[in-house]
Amino acid sequence: MKPFRLGLETKKMLAGYVYIAPWLIGFLLFMLYPLIYSLWLSFHEVQGIGDFQVQSVGWDNYKKAFVIDAYFVTLLISVIQDTLINTPLIIVFSLLIAILLNHKIKARPFFRASFFLPVLIGSGFVMQQLLYAGVGKDTMVNGIGVPQEVFLYMGPTFSQLVFDLLSRLTLIFWKTGVQILLFLAGLQGISTSLYESARCDGATEWEMFWKITLPLVSPVILLNLVYTLVDSFTDINNRMMMYMKDMAFTKIQLGYSASMGWIYFLFVFVLIVITFAFSKRFIFYAGER
Amino acid sequence: MNVTDNIQPGRTADTASLRSASMLRKAKSRALSKSRWYSLIYRVFVYVLLIDLSFVFLYPFIYMVTTSLKKPVDLLNFTIKWIPTSLEWENYLYALAGLQYWDHLKNSLFLSVVSVVGQVLACSFVAYGFARIKFPGREFLFLVAMFTLLIPPQTVIIPLFMQYKTMGWMDTYLPLIIPGFFANGLRGALFIFIFRQLFRGLPWELEDAARVDGCGSFRVYWKIILPLTPPAIVVTTLLSLVWHWNDYFEPSIYLTSQELHTLPMVLPRLYQSLDETTGRSFEVFGLPIVMAATFLVIVPLMVIYLFLQKYFIQGVERSGLVE
Repeated sequence: MKPFRLGLETKKMLAGYVYIAPWLIGFLLFMLYPLIYSLWLSFHEVQGIGDFQVQSVGWDNYKKAFVIDAYFVTLLISVIQDTLINTPLIIVFSLLIAILLNHKIKARPFFRASFFLPVLIGSGFVMQQLLYAGVGKDTMVNGIGVPQEVFLYMGPTFSQLVFDLLSRLTLIFWKTGVQILLFLAGLQGISTSLYESARCDGATEWEMFWKITLPLVSPVILLNLVYTLVDSFTDINNRMMMYMKDMAFTKIQLGYSASMGWIYFLFVFVLIVITFAFSKRFIFYAGER
Repeated sequence: MNVTDNIQPGRTADTASLRSASMLRKAKSRALSKSRWYSLIYRVFVYVLLIDLSFVFLYPFIYMVTTSLKKPVDLLNFTIKWIPTSLEWENYLYALAGLQYWDHLKNSLFLSVVSVVGQVLACSFVAYGFARIKFPGREFLFLVAMFTLLIPPQTVIIPLFMQYKTMGWMDTYLPLIIPGFFANGLRGALFIFIFRQLFRGLPWELEDAARVDGCGSFRVYWKIILPLTPPAIVVTTLLSLVWHWNDYFEPSIYLTSQELHTLPMVLPRLYQSLDETTGRSFEVFGLPIVMAATFLVIVPLMVIYLFLQKYFIQGVERSGLVE
């Protein structure tokens, strides 16, 4: 073999690096320094606000999170609970809606648009205004058409429970526009000829769902699972994120806030890596050899 | 729905094939009507479900539109829930003035469109590498990308601010646009992930055939993979656009001069800007004007959505494939 002649496989491998190069350069330019800085900061604490003096405190910030701070661990557990309850709900709901919206139904563009509208409105200032005006609370009650009289019969505690559940569901549903859209994209990648040939062989709609739709849409299930986890854990309005923000910007304990951030994000990251590892068994990529 | 129509009669006909022709006809028509009933019930159920749920999703929007047309007095009147006593189009005039709509619309459009183009091109390019080429360290690097997805800009804003300040990028659009062109930026890793997942579902046969014919990998990406995945492009374009459009945290950190501000950044100081321009106080009953303004902010998004929706269709046929 002559020197400086690369084999086909090596060439292909190098092409791989060329493709991901933009991302890698961007990562090194725009992500690495902030990440390292925040890691460095997590072992320090800010002394004065004016001139930004910092002092090394070793592992103290990390110890503080687990041992001294009464809120951190409880908040962590409650955020995990919320996410574990919401995520399966969101995935199943959005898959169901996406399948319905992928059928040939009347006024399909209208329905698709309406399920995506809350995403257009966004989660920023606009949504805050709407929530402030109490829009989140009574949507479900009006939407599902539960008459007010039913709540009278239920008694105050139980009706409050149902009411809370419904308003919580509303807020969860409003977030599913992204997942529905991603599922729709996944469903559209499935060739219609597969369904046609299955139909010719006498498959029922139910069988086709399990044998064709679900395996072929499974890459998008993984995508949505990871997105939902990330979105739920890093939602700027969740209590953990609020707590860290408060610690950083009102109590000016930037070091402590950074260390909590690292514990939190590493934990979520581990969860996502586990999701990826598990997914290897259940996900079918049509284009994989 | 249609399956039952097609299959049930066939099956019934099979079992009945030995019987006389009249029996056959009877059985056929009975099975047909039965399955028709099922399909009718199913259809009604689906529509009821969709209409009911879509109302839940439309609710904030309907609320926004009806409130934006109300008089301040209507807000206090409990008998008026949806339909205002009179339509106050004036609210929209105030909202247009308060937002300085056309100036800021220009900024928003420029910033979003440039960022979206950069992000979609770069992310699909990078995703092709992650999805279709095997190289050492691929899985590790992909996980690193996923880790960056986890970090919200809020948590690293201080070092980012300092970095852009030393680079002299403050008060320009550069910190908002350039990372997107490097497949980073606002949720860049998610778009890489979306493209990767949808690329991995594509058949290899076309790519192999193109390579045998001497197509380089870039041409495979550009001429074969991208055209085969319009849903992926539409979805990423739409999401990237919506998120860039609505983002006001990062822009409000980097953009100090007001003439660079985007529409969502003006919303929170709507009252203030209205008071300045008109010399009246809007603080007390300004909700209709705020709703009119929020509606005006998302209208361009809705127009673009309607335009993109056309390209969102089933049936990317695996043309040219013999399976």
